Amino acid sequence: MTATESEETMAPPVSDVVIASVRDLRVHFRSKAGVVHAVDGVSFDIHDGETLGLVGETGCGKSVTARSFLKLVPMPPGIAAGGSIVFRPGEACPSCSGEGCVECESTGRRSIDLLELSERDMRDIRGDRIAMIFQDPGKALNPALSVREQLAEVFYQHRTDQLLDDASIDEGDSGVATTLLRRHAGLRSRRLEETLLALPPLRNRRNELRRAVDARVADALAETQIPNPRKVMDRYPHELSGGMRQRVMIAQALACDPDLLIADEPTTALDVTVQARILELIRELQQRHRTSVLYISHDLSLVRRVCDRVAVMYAGRIVEVAGAEQIFTEPAHPYTRGLLDAIPSAAHERGRLVAIAGTVPELIEPPALCRFSGRCPHAAPVCETMDPMVQPLDDEHDVACFIHHPVTGAENPTFAGPPR
Amino acid sequence: MSAELRIESREATPAAEHILVLRDLHKHFPIKEGALQRVVGQVRAVDGVSFELRRGQTLGLVGESGCGKTTLGRCVAGLIEPTSGGVYFGLDEAERLRLDELRATPDDATTAAQLEALDETHRVDRMQGDAWQHYRRNCQMVFQESFASLNPRHLVKDIVGRPLRVHREASGAELLGRVVDLLEQVGLGRQHLYRYPHQFSGGQRQRISIARALALDPELIVLDEPTSALDVSVQAQILNLLHELQQERDLAYLFITHDLSVVRHMADHIVVMYLGKVAETAPTQTLFDRPEHPYTQALLASSPDVVAGEVDPDMPLATLEGAVPDPAHPPQGCRFHTRCPVATDRCGWEIDDVVRFLEDSETLFDSLANVERHTAFDASLDFDDAASAAGLAAAMHGDSIPHAMAAALASVTVDDTRVRIQFDEVDEVTLTVRGPNHAAACVLRDQGGARPDM
Repeated sequence: MTATESEETMAPPVSDVVIASVRDLRVHFRSKAGVVHAVDGVSFDIHDGETLGLVGETGCGKSVTARSFLKLVPMPPGIAAGGSIVFRPGEACPSCSGEGCVECESTGRRSIDLLELSERDMRDIRGDRIAMIFQDPGKALNPALSVREQLAEVFYQHRTDQLLDDASIDEGDSGVATTLLRRHAGLRSRRLEETLLALPPLRNRRNELRRAVDARVADALAETQIPNPRKVMDRYPHELSGGMRQRVMIAQALACDPDLLIADEPTTALDVTVQARILELIRELQQRHRTSVLYISHDLSLVRRVCDRVAVMYAGRIVEVAGAEQIFTEPAHPYTRGLLDAIPSAAHERGRLVAIAGTVPELIEPPALCRFSGRCPHAAPVCETMDPMVQPLDDEHDVACFIHHPVTGAENPTFAGPPR
Repeated sequence: MSAELRIESREATPAAEHILVLRDLHKHFPIKEGALQRVVGQVRAVDGVSFELRRGQTLGLVGESGCGKTTLGRCVAGLIEPTSGGVYFGLDEAERLRLDELRATPDDATTAAQLEALDETHRVDRMQGDAWQHYRRNCQMVFQESFASLNPRHLVKDIVGRPLRVHREASGAELLGRVVDLLEQVGLGRQHLYRYPHQFSGGQRQRISIARALALDPELIVLDEPTSALDVSVQAQILNLLHELQQERDLAYLFITHDLSVVRHMADHIVVMYLGKVAETAPTQTLFDRPEHPYTQALLASSPDVVAGEVDPDMPLATLEGAVPDPAHPPQGCRFHTRCPVATDRCGWEIDDVVRFLEDSETLFDSLANVERHTAFDASLDFDDAASAAGLAAAMHGDSIPHAMAAALASVTVDDTRVRIQFDEVDEVTLTVRGPNHAAACVLRDQGGARPDM
């Protein structure tokens, strides 16, 4: 592929190329009580090769945002209420072949709006260009399929041609046997065709294909440091420990070397000791493959370790985006400050944790005001009447709060008392 | 727990009496198989745990999932009966000392009778009648899953009022008044009386659970991961609430959790469990400053919460190899030796470790025909061919097994397709004193000996 080669020779710095940009994403859900605005105008960019953390409490819409990338939000009850997710995989723009034109916003890359994609086209992207690691590997892996079958599916779906190459079936070949095998490798075989392939004259060639798949599956497993991958391949998910299952899922996600990996709380279901290993693994693989990662978590201290930049979400909105260190050292939004203060540490006297008062507001037809105003210790009248926009604080730091971007002619909130 | 440790804790200034005393508690679950449900083995969920909890204090119980901490909590709350050993409640100081004395002396008729008398009044699973009633009132539990532990078909007033009704404390208008009082104490109010659990958020449901636990004004509450299903901001509210209640009512908490930052914040004393046994027990500050057991050290190092802001975030997290072994066949010697980064030859290397090594090897395991165990440390392994047998013998002297394991080998003899492997026999590693109220079950640094380089 020439495009990827030119990519590598250019080796763009991390922050230059935007691999995915979410603009004003809105996902609503119909419920008995009314329309829930689960994701309500979310915008952010993921740069090539970076790990972006998406942090927030339960119900803030972070998982829905992530699932929107792969069209995994069930509709109905979900409603795509607007916005776009433009994805730019490492391929040249078809209209200007990498020169840069209006259509690709002079990035020279093919742009795809993931929300506009048909289900058939989405299938090609899912697991190939964008892959996902789910929170609970016990639920996300199919209990009725062995690890081998589980992973083989990815290769059959997305790497049909390479498999046929491995099994020395050339493109030019024709004949019944080759057609059958080709259909088999593309997961398009019918029952009868499978039966034919199991008969002696064709069985050897089919087995050759299977061996090719097995080799790839074993390689993918070995990459996630699973000891003895050939043996693990024949196990079923319930026979593996939590950490091992998560490795299988990571192997599955990285099998096709995707451009973007979405990790939805990948370590929440694991023990701390295992969690540490999985985190190291994700980081190492990400650096080796130069994959961009959207890392979703509710755990701020984890995010600090893993991510380059962090976006904080609250009640369906992004409230702050900054570098991972910056978020911790100079949090600008009162909600981010509250979250950081609530983490128990040695510095807090017992019983003196600074909890955020109140609860997350209902997202049914929310009025136009700052959604955090009800719980904010610094709220001023303007917060109850106007909706703050995400605006830049400096180059790397965006925040949506009237403390930093006051409205002229109104009483604006301030950080009362000494700063943290 | 060794005798020295108890002397040590006796000398420490007794801040308050011990409300809860555990002595050599075991809980084994039978593994049943076949049509006749024959018992083929025992899962040793809790395997010999002893500790004390003082009135008004918090004891943190930490460990990975499957280490037996929840089972232990359930034994303490009297929800399941221990297999052996005992949970003693409400012993006064003299009785506690006598209990230890009686347990230490060899069996004879008089001590057995005295122990029996003590058991009947104070051992939780032996209590009857009034003593049992008294215990049920004074020990309450808050569960992890507030969805599962609150009946979805009952109103809040019924859920919180149930203990009062069962113990005939109040009825009618008085009951309602007391329920409102309880709700107000946990930050809810009269408006929540006639609602169902599903109408509340996770934090509020956990508050209802706490209100229910407080209804009978208990002395001890077992908190089984009370905040692990909650977000940090809500967790902070609940932790503050628990602390306030403890201050007001002089409550003792047995705080079970896997979250080290929470336990560091809440507990006075911490017990670290691994595979049903206590790995280390120490006052909170000591445990975090000077962890003695390699498992504790690994736990602390792998928890990013605890080090955030204190250590460079780019420093790699220390990680542990391998998985927790099967609690039905716990390792000999120190149970942590299979994953320990600093294991020595005295840590209890055994035949199971050889089998584990074989399972991970590409070829040898397939040709393994039979393992004939003479003891846990001595077995003959039969292979299909002589080459594999020689391969194993070579591996036993090579670099592919841990150095400590090679050092623990007593002999490896090859006889055609049969390999006999013998390890040095090692006793079970017990807790030894490391400082005031501080004990760890590790062969390293034993009795303040020379500190090996870590």
